[in-house]
Amino acid sequence: MTKRQCQEAVDRLFEFIDGELTDEELLRIGAHLKECPPCEAELRINEKIRLLVSQAHGEKAPHQLRERVLSTLRMAREESV
Amino acid sequence: MTTNTEEFDFETDALAFMDQLYAAALRMTRNGADAEDLVQETYAKAFAAQDKFTPGTNLKAWLYRIQTNAFINTYRKKQREPKRTDADNVEDWQLASAATHQSSGLASAEQTALDSIGDDQVRNALAELSEDFRMAVYLSDVEGFAYKEIAEIMDTPVGTVMSRLHRGRRLLREKLREYAAEHGIYDHRAGS
Repeated sequence: MTKRQCQEAVDRLFEFIDGELTDEELLRIGAHLKECPPCEAELRINEKIRLLVSQAHGEKAPHQLRERVLSTLRMAREESV
Repeated sequence: MTTNTEEFDFETDALAFMDQLYAAALRMTRNGADAEDLVQETYAKAFAAQDKFTPGTNLKAWLYRIQTNAFINTYRKKQREPKRTDADNVEDWQLASAATHQSSGLASAEQTALDSIGDDQVRNALAELSEDFRMAVYLSDVEGFAYKEIAEIMDTPVGTVMSRLHRGRRLLREKLREYAAEHGIYDHRAGS
């Protein structure tokens, strides 16, 4: 592994995690991540943070909001007839 | 709950995204009352503009775009959170990333610390980011939108989305590290 490969892997780590790389890039950078422990550690940390952010959110709309929206749409529908 | 069998498919499909729009609105407004108003406004605008929606295209992204516009036009001024002009420099994350990876001791300590971080800390850390960074990270990490979709929702080039994601995630990571250090669950001297 070379410093240049590490630089590319770190620079493009988010694109790797987000599934935004081409197949060819994915293979090349994925291969480096597998063989370079420090780069792999960066991957694990960033994947973990992404998971934490995903798990920490996801509130449900309050019941009264649902009622308000349905009422708004009902009125809009009646006005548009 | 009132149901109306004559509801348009558009309406039924759009209403299925209410939880997600509300959760996103909470990230935008950072308070429940404004978030509810914003979602209501989003649905009113979406209903009025439904003829402009092309069936078969991405309804969820379309609704997020309407909500983002509604937020910018109605709430940003009210919240007195000025749009940051320093958020869109596309190149500086590339310069900043000259610092590559860290020692294995530090990485290991950071991974261990992340296991002790709670949902509240993660929510607080994200809420502390400026609006553009916060929403880019949210739309990607929580909603799983592709960069191109985030660009459409935020009405900005894909390069700017990437910049916001890079900088937002780095800042978020830094905040989580600070939190962990303050609570004695991350020692930044590990590995030295």
